[in-house]
Amino acid sequence: MNITDSFTRIRLIAGTTFLEAVRQKFFNSLLLISIALVASSTFFQQFDFGTGELKFITDFGFGALFFFGSILSITATTQLFFNEMENRTALTMLAKPVYKLEFLAGKFLGAHLLMLCFTLVITLVLSGILYWREMVLLERLGNELTSNVSLIRYGDVFLFGFLQWMKFGIIAAFTLFVASFSNTNLYTIVVSFFMLIICQLQYIVRDTYSGMEAGWERILVLGLGLIFPNFQLFNIGDQLVFDVEKAPAVSTVLQITGYGAVYSIAFVLLAQVNFRRREI
Amino acid sequence: MATPAICIQNLTKDFAVGMRGMKLRAVEDLCLEVGDNEIFGLLGPNGSGKSTTIKIILGLLEASTGNCEIYGKPSKLVDARRSVGFLPEAPYFYRYLTGRELVRYYARICMVARAEIDAAVDSVIKLVGMTEAADRRVGTYSKGMLQRIGLAQSLVHDPQLVILDEPTAGVDPLGSAAIAEIVRELKRRGKTILLSSHLLAQIEGLCDRVAILHRGKLVREGLVDDLVQEKDAESLVVQGLNDEGRAAVEAEIKAQGGRLARVERPRLSLDAYFLKEVHQREIEHVTQQEGGEEL
Ligand SMILES: Nc1ncnc2c1ncn2[C@@H]1O[C@H](COP(=O)(O)OP(=O)(O)OP(=O)(O)O)[C@@H](O)[C@H]1O
Ligand SMILES: [Mg+2]
Repeated sequence: MNITDSFTRIRLIAGTTFLEAVRQKFFNSLLLISIALVASSTFFQQFDFGTGELKFITDFGFGALFFFGSILSITATTQLFFNEMENRTALTMLAKPVYKLEFLAGKFLGAHLLMLCFTLVITLVLSGILYWREMVLLERLGNELTSNVSLIRYGDVFLFGFLQWMKFGIIAAFTLFVASFSNTNLYTIVVSFFMLIICQLQYIVRDTYSGMEAGWERILVLGLGLIFPNFQLFNIGDQLVFDVEKAPAVSTVLQITGYGAVYSIAFVLLAQVNFRRREI
Repeated sequence: MATPAICIQNLTKDFAVGMRGMKLRAVEDLCLEVGDNEIFGLLGPNGSGKSTTIKIILGLLEASTGNCEIYGKPSKLVDARRSVGFLPEAPYFYRYLTGRELVRYYARICMVARAEIDAAVDSVIKLVGMTEAADRRVGTYSKGMLQRIGLAQSLVHDPQLVILDEPTAGVDPLGSAAIAEIVRELKRRGKTILLSSHLLAQIEGLCDRVAILHRGKLVREGLVDDLVQEKDAESLVVQGLNDEGRAAVEAEIKAQGGRLARVERPRLSLDAYFLKEVHQREIEHVTQQEGGEEL
């Protein structure tokens, strides 16, 4: 197995996967809805939140990014996988000298690339809106504040986007894992959403674990905690954007990134275990 | 002896159908050998296991029992498929690519060297007669065009073994003749071709050897000429004979003054042979089933 050839094939498969994804109506409508939603947060301006308004818009934007991103990540990955199965294009592909792992990795990267696009667009729109509101606000408060202060650290908006994107990677990977053993679209989507909820509530398990006495229950909980990634780790939005003192260390960000990458790779490999025996 | 292109030994394939572990036997104890540089036809009625056999050869399905090798390599290995081209039945491709992009894409997947890609793509597109439509999107293609672009896709990396599952389904007679000519050309270039079809008239003049499957079992296998020749009969091709003489001709050809031009073995058409073989078995099968139900 030649590694460079392998990467070429993965890249090619990811390319068509991505191309197919951006041509889907679902992606485009979801993108539009998300943009509209992020933009609509400015309508709250009449309440005159002051600097609180910026915080509100940020939270709202981050929330929309997470919410729609998760939906998109699960549905797009499912769709991309089953399209290939149902249209039997997978048949043509896997009759070529292509390893099934290359195929899965290509699908995963294609979906991940789609999420990168989505995340970038949303964070760009959010930053644009924040910038606009910040200008308006600074103008109004101009006499009270010293000039040339920036209320928002825009880099953090993108950092948050990046971490969310890593999380979407895990979601795409475990969706692929579920798809690898399931026969239908709907089943895959439902199970993946359950997994998403479990991952989101993972911290509860962790809390239980720390309060438990040694024993098999503790091992069980530990196991659960290891199988399902802890999505709370990625939600550091509160520490970002506004408060310089609370800003996370670079090492923390790297750790979270590594955490995401490890889980994504692990789920793709697990998917491969099922997919290897799957009849195409 | 050279390694056969495809070697299938005691191949059985069961599909799990239904909830209670019910099994459907799609292929049963199949033994086949396809020699190098041979055109081999896989014949059989719908659902007789042709496509299933092909998928196992390509490693897309795993055999329940038995072995399958391509040029001596187990077909489970990706390596065995390095020099194999495949056209699936009723092919379907990425709609949003143009025909040329599609063929090019598969050429790159198969690691055709960059310098050769353009020439290879152009030449197979020309070969299958799709030059005019090559820059239209695959989504707009007709069934026959899909079949042709599928053929192009299967040949672009110049494989040694080409497997075609019903290559002429949905293709017009002219196109089918063209495909048959492509297959012959491939043979001249030293390639091996395995194809499945129900269109026997086309297969007859094309294949060196055929195998007939019925309900997953191999019914007959051999050289086309051997199968369709009736060895216990001869036919006389008579010339220069008038109507009155014809009645007496069998007894006294020479006495009637006719000229014996040629003696040859009469042939059953492959169509007829196929029908005879399959039909008879189908009747046996049905009577057996009915008998079983009555008991
Ligand atoms: N994935 C599957 N699951 C269950 N049964 C299957 C599956 N694929 C094929 N079969 C069954 O196996 C048998 C053989 O099917 P196969 O597709 O090989 O037939 P075929 O000879 O190619 O027929 P056709 O000429 O119609 O293409 C059929 O009875 C079919 O229903
Ligand atoms: Mg078939």
